[in-house]
Amino acid sequence: MKRSAFISSLMATGVLSASSITAAAHATKRMPRKWKIPPHLKPGDAIGITCPSGFALEEDVAPAIQYLQSWGLSVVVGNTVGKKDHTFGGTDQERAEDFQNMINRSDLKAILCAHGGYGAVRIIDQLDFSPFKKYPKWVIGFSDITVFHSHLHAYVGVASLHAKMAEGFPSDPSKFEPVQFQALESIRKALFGEPLQYTVPAQVRNRTGEVNGILIGGNLKMIETLAATNSDIDTRDKIFFVEDVGEALYSIDRMFCNLQRSGKLSNLKALIVGSFTNIRPDDPKEPFGKTIYDIVWEQVKSYDYPVCFDFSVGHQKNNVALKCGVPHRLTVTETNAVLTEIQHP
Amino acid sequence: MIVPPYLKKGDTVGIVCPSGFLPAKKVTDGIQMLRSWGYQVRLGKTVGNQYHYFSGTDEERLADLQQMLDDPNIHAILCGRGGYGLSRIIDRISFRRFTKHPKWIIGFSDITVLHAHLYQRVGVASLHAPMLAAFSKKDLSSVFTLQKALAGKQLNHTCSPHTFNRVGTVSGPLIGGNLSLVAHLVGSRSALQTKGAILFLEDIGEYIYNIDRMLIQLKRSGIFNQLGGLVVGGFTDCKDTEIPFGSSAFEVIQHQIKEFDFPVCFDFPVSHDTANVALKHGMPYQLSITNKKVLLKAL
Repeated sequence: MKRSAFISSLMATGVLSASSITAAAHATKRMPRKWKIPPHLKPGDAIGITCPSGFALEEDVAPAIQYLQSWGLSVVVGNTVGKKDHTFGGTDQERAEDFQNMINRSDLKAILCAHGGYGAVRIIDQLDFSPFKKYPKWVIGFSDITVFHSHLHAYVGVASLHAKMAEGFPSDPSKFEPVQFQALESIRKALFGEPLQYTVPAQVRNRTGEVNGILIGGNLKMIETLAATNSDIDTRDKIFFVEDVGEALYSIDRMFCNLQRSGKLSNLKALIVGSFTNIRPDDPKEPFGKTIYDIVWEQVKSYDYPVCFDFSVGHQKNNVALKCGVPHRLTVTETNAVLTEIQHP
Repeated sequence: MIVPPYLKKGDTVGIVCPSGFLPAKKVTDGIQMLRSWGYQVRLGKTVGNQYHYFSGTDEERLADLQQMLDDPNIHAILCGRGGYGLSRIIDRISFRRFTKHPKWIIGFSDITVLHAHLYQRVGVASLHAPMLAAFSKKDLSSVFTLQKALAGKQLNHTCSPHTFNRVGTVSGPLIGGNLSLVAHLVGSRSALQTKGAILFLEDIGEYIYNIDRMLIQLKRSGIFNQLGGLVVGGFTDCKDTEIPFGSSAFEVIQHQIKEFDFPVCFDFPVSHDTANVALKHGMPYQLSITNKKVLLKAL
């Protein structure tokens, strides 16, 4: 579609008008209760790469293209790859158009985001996901891309893939650590429909138990800043996972207060705590005095659902692919914790 | 909205620290000043007390604040400092006795949590005003606005026009505070309902991109939809990413509200800097913005 035709189609559906007014109307919309699972990929299928948030250079995504091609996929590189508007992968308009184009193209079976950073909330209300009703496809990424996972979960009703992004495919395979292979392999398995199962060692602060539930979650900061918007997730009866990077402990504590006070911790099936990396150092004169384990435990000690710490999700090499909106079984024992995708519930 | 009684000579101001740790020596100037205004001062147990980052455990901070709220011989509560900590105890505070004998609660920054909660859940006005650090500054002009507010004197605030201002006149309850906290409260039972209100916002030490993100959260949660007017205070010591965001804090705010038409003024004297006038949170004000001046008048 030509740019002008594309914009007029957006205007016609009203998505380019004052987003806030529509957002308020949407805020009262009933949340989806079932999540459509996009078809899994087959060799020969096409996958798009786009930058809805921060910028990525062409060389940043080159290793990902090679990898995806080695899986038998053809790769469509979006206009925003290589574009740069300050920190963004293009202007809001350019990023929204590129993403919308990937939504609209029926030949694309998945959309891999190139980079996180910041920017998804600036365009999310401009996107029209109605083509997903007939042709859902996998949206892949994490960190700022949590906005998409939450929006697809809360507003659109489609499953998505919380996983490494295009920039996360390392360029020199000879220097890979095994966990990096595992993380990439988990994306391949997820996309091609091979069942996912992850086992992590027991953590002394874990709370044991076994539950089945829909998996949802992502970056804690993003989940907090989506509260009360039309992308705000309902965590009731879910297996909920969180991770974050570069936050101070007091800020992490405050965000967990927000989860608690907005009701996101009270009716969970289970809580999965991923990594909290590069925690901003405290003022040495007044250290916060609590660890991540303490902070989480204070908020969940009055409930009885299973809690799993140190799960392999977050801003780290060991960041495995997780299907948001898809049923999983979580088993936390004294020995380990196992998260298993339930493929045919 | 219940308006607590203004203070008379001889009344007692209680000082508590519901959030971060405040060394005892930082209270001296404040005590002297409050006494010079004719008030007695009572120090809570959390003043000078330290539990890691906090001025006490959650239980200690809660008990101290609760005691000051409940004691009929305390006529106002000045929070010693902000930092972080109120979100941890806000849902455990009982306002039952307080609503029978309401009193002014004073502070800003993390105390925004208390102001918002008092407005939304309790229905009592409070004072967004300087805390103890301000009493030791050279420029005490903002501290003197607190003195006037406590004594019940009419307070009108003016500020210079700013090129980003949007002219207009609006009346409504004045609510708001620290942007990070206003955003953090969204989705909770203390979240501000802004229909017809005059919202004021300030912040310190935030990344510009994060200010943008918080403004979008406010927008997407509907806070600007039926807003009466917006008062943008100081955004002090903003941080930026290695690759600059490309806009200032004020430019970010101007951009995010451009689709609305309520009156807006920028650079109003409410901030973490010296300019931080006392504002009666929850009380009706008139905001009038012309090309020549800005006037915020208590009604």
